[in-house]
Amino acid sequence: MSKKGNNSIDTKEELNTTLSEEGIGLLGRFLRGRIWYGAEWYFAVAGATVLIAILLMTLFAPVLAPYDPNGFVAAPFIPPGGGHQLLIVRDSDANNVNIDSLDQQVFGVIRNKNGDKVARELTDSITRYGDLDALALALAAGEVDFAFVDELDESMIPLSVNNLTIVVRGMGTSFPLGTDNLGRDMVSRVIWGARTVMSVALLSALFSSTVGITLGLISGFMSGLVDRVLSLTMDSLYSFPGLLLAIAMVAMLGPGMINVAVAVSVIYIPTFFRVVRGQVLTIKEELYVDAARSLGAKSSSILLEYILPNVIPSIVVVFSINIADAILTEAGLSFIGLGLPPDIPDWGYDLSKGHSFLVAGHWWLITVPGVLITLVSLSFSMLGESLSEILNPRLSDQ
Amino acid sequence: MATQKNKSKANENPLMQIEGLHVRYNTRIGQVSAIDNVTFEIEPGEILGLVGESGSGKSTLGKALLNMLPSSAGVDGKIILDNENILDLDYEGIRDLRGRRVSMIFQDPMTSLNPVQRINQHLLETLDVHKAEDIKENAISRIKELLERLGIQKERIEDYPHQLSGGMRQRVMIGLGLVLNANLIVADEATTSLDVIVEAKLLDQLREIQKEYGVSIIVITHNIALIAELADRVAVMYAGRLAELGAVEDIFDRPLHPYSQGLLKSVPNIQIDDEEELYRMPGETPSLIDPPKGCRFHPRCPEAMPICAEIEPSFEEARPKQWVNCWLYQDHTDKPEQRIVVKD
Amino acid sequence: MAKSTKKDNVLVELKNVRKWFAVQSGLLERLLAGRTDHVRAVDGVSFKIKQGEVFGLAGESGSGKSTIGRLALRLEEPTEGQVLFDGADLSALSSEELRRERRRMQVIFQDPMAALNPRMSVGEALRHPLRIHFPDQSKEHRQMILDILARVGLTPPENYYDKYPHQISGGQRQRVVIARALITKPDLVLADEPIAMADVSVRAQLLALMNELKDEFNLTYLFITHDLATAKYICDRIGIMYLGKLVEVGDLKEVFTHPLHPYTQALLAAVPVPNPHDRRTEPMPEGEIPNAINPPSGCRFHPRCPVAREGHCDVESPKLRELRPGHMVACHYAEDYL
Repeated sequence: MSKKGNNSIDTKEELNTTLSEEGIGLLGRFLRGRIWYGAEWYFAVAGATVLIAILLMTLFAPVLAPYDPNGFVAAPFIPPGGGHQLLIVRDSDANNVNIDSLDQQVFGVIRNKNGDKVARELTDSITRYGDLDALALALAAGEVDFAFVDELDESMIPLSVNNLTIVVRGMGTSFPLGTDNLGRDMVSRVIWGARTVMSVALLSALFSSTVGITLGLISGFMSGLVDRVLSLTMDSLYSFPGLLLAIAMVAMLGPGMINVAVAVSVIYIPTFFRVVRGQVLTIKEELYVDAARSLGAKSSSILLEYILPNVIPSIVVVFSINIADAILTEAGLSFIGLGLPPDIPDWGYDLSKGHSFLVAGHWWLITVPGVLITLVSLSFSMLGESLSEILNPRLSDQ
Repeated sequence: MATQKNKSKANENPLMQIEGLHVRYNTRIGQVSAIDNVTFEIEPGEILGLVGESGSGKSTLGKALLNMLPSSAGVDGKIILDNENILDLDYEGIRDLRGRRVSMIFQDPMTSLNPVQRINQHLLETLDVHKAEDIKENAISRIKELLERLGIQKERIEDYPHQLSGGMRQRVMIGLGLVLNANLIVADEATTSLDVIVEAKLLDQLREIQKEYGVSIIVITHNIALIAELADRVAVMYAGRLAELGAVEDIFDRPLHPYSQGLLKSVPNIQIDDEEELYRMPGETPSLIDPPKGCRFHPRCPEAMPICAEIEPSFEEARPKQWVNCWLYQDHTDKPEQRIVVKD
Repeated sequence: MAKSTKKDNVLVELKNVRKWFAVQSGLLERLLAGRTDHVRAVDGVSFKIKQGEVFGLAGESGSGKSTIGRLALRLEEPTEGQVLFDGADLSALSSEELRRERRRMQVIFQDPMAALNPRMSVGEALRHPLRIHFPDQSKEHRQMILDILARVGLTPPENYYDKYPHQISGGQRQRVVIARALITKPDLVLADEPIAMADVSVRAQLLALMNELKDEFNLTYLFITHDLATAKYICDRIGIMYLGKLVEVGDLKEVFTHPLHPYTQALLAAVPVPNPHDRRTEPMPEGEIPNAINPPSGCRFHPRCPVAREGHCDVESPKLRELRPGHMVACHYAEDYL
């Protein structure tokens, strides 16, 4: 149509343009963000906060984690908040207990309970018993003078029958997130696991985005045979169920963090490719690309300076979803045993292992890594989407 | 088709009265005052041209006449049609209003017609939707008669919108408006996307429709020359307010408002004997989030006085049947300068 | 290529240029029909543009005027015919040479918002052509940009340097587009409906700016428009196009006062005049513009022409011939209007 052009643009865009955004740098935009961007700002900040926390966890894991994530530090299946010990003595000794001088005493503990650990901190000689009843009897009989029992077992101790008293509560440390099926501290596993997650997921996302974006740019821009071949390849790759593909790749490449990252990344390359290619096809037809051509710009220059910057907003969201997906895929691989070796603490691994213990009532084994994976994925998504909204210079109409 | 030969312009009862209309939009950056205190009337059987640039509020006004403003818009004032305020209508009332009493022709007919519905289906649907039982008899033949009247051949009635050209689609839109005997047609930039010859033919059509069916047409456009060719009266809008309103000859021959004067001098005229250079109006249309205090045109006005930057003028009848919103033609206690009295 | 400085030098010449676009039809259609359809956007057009003049090309949709603009600047390749720039056929150049030659021919687009990269600031957008064509003068780039911004009326230019397109008004954006076109000091500027999207009160400013810049920068404009009223204020000569053919061409005042082609006459009559006392009474031609895939035989306008003669106009396509000094028309019976 020759008579294009709508001059009666009563849109807010025209009205907004005379509003001054002069001299407002990034920090200024951040501070004013709440007013300007409304909801997106909150999302971006929330997402960023969580991710910064994760980042700190990753960087300072050795300092932050209370225990060795692979060490069997306590009894298995201690629920969150549990782990404190009760100090039990015979009724007759109850008033003579001096906590500060428990050193060198002989303690009785249940086999494999973390009373073990508390006791070991105080003395070298510990006597282990098979169960609570045996311990109670031993204490009553005078084989040991002190006994450590887990707080949660309080109701099971035959106190009155054996004339025993609880003298001190809350000894030792508790495990805020409990322990897993092997008695490993969940908090430490979470903190160290952050490293794994960030490495594998981030690495794979970076890899798939780089490859996918590059190929998408080339394919969309050049069209023709190159486009056909690449699209066909990507479509076939895309039609594979993700996990199967990852399994195949790991089987080919072997174990190890980098290999897993690569395996997981291959699944997402087609997605980036498609999104970018689609965007490039649209943007290629835009007038400003034509204008660049009329200026005499080289094709590479057009691709990098005119097309790529306008493609990026659409990638941000894909990237964040990719990371979330990568975490889960890697968990899936771990589940099958093809993922990372079990000595590397990993949320995905814990998630898949924890699944089987849910029925027994040990809900925290699966919930803790699950919540964290969700939180990280959500944060990436929130940050990604709101960033793309904020960074996009085109203010949208309300 | 019932013809309403109500052509008497001397009829004292206006078709529609707009009183004290205010429309505000809430945007991310702030509140936009899109229409500010607009009052005027539309006479039956007249073609009223509503002229303005972007940001003048003319499209918002067009939408208001069909109660089509977004629900988030803040609206004050009244629009009275048939003794009721259409801004107060409930859902049923609004559905009845649109199409039957007031109809609209948009700029891009492609997006306002359903691409998977044939033309005759569009027209039948309109009749259906409005339960126009009284007209449904002989509906098909009426529709064909109407379309032929509008210049669309009988055979095309079975076509889909994409098979018609832009000009024909606009004519279908007019048809949709007329099929229910609407009294008022709101044409919002209806010819902007059309070629100039097609536009000229559409103008002829609109004039004929006005004569034959007695409908009022409010033509919203930025194209001033178009208004000169078509309108009986002209309303000039600037930055959400009415600057001037009057008969087309009065507005073009003796514009009162400095904005109208500047605008008319800046319009290209194809006639060769008109040699004058185009007037370049200084400045640009203001932001409606933070509009200028007092008269919104004062920063660009060659005749601005101190009072113009302080107090808003009111819309006064400076000459019989010509209203203008300007301190040049009004008095105020704070205004020392003499008022210009307009002699006919 | 050195620029010839002879006066009356022909800067652009089109010789019998055709541009046909293949219509994408489905495989089955192609098999059954046995041929591909083409949109004959430009179908045998020849004209010259002299250095220093403003040559207008007017027409309605489907006339091919925008395509001609792109052909003249070698943004499209002609299907047939030759396009000469400063006497030389650009198709003889390698793509690298052509790219460099682009310095001399630039474009002002219709939609300034669409013509500017939303992710490039004004400064960056203007720097790009400088980087391409004047890479050795990078230290002076900033000043060159500030100078041209000031020249197109964006003052103080420092304020606009870092702004993004969405942060400035429509009229200002169009000035940036103009600045970008002129920063390489071109010889030829293709202006494709440059003011159609600007506000009414701003158009006069932009037109005046373009006129001033033409004299100051020694420019030649190929001015494409559908708005004949605007053309009057800037064009020296004008060509009227209809469905891919040039039907009339000549000095603007001459063509507007003595239109010889029935289409030109209709077009001029159709343009609304901002004078309520002088409303159009002439009837408009019947029908609408036919599609360019299967244009009418003979003279393209004959189905709508009030004076078309059967047997002649529907059979033979008229050629452009000079009926008055400098005034050419493609019509068999144009003498009747002399």
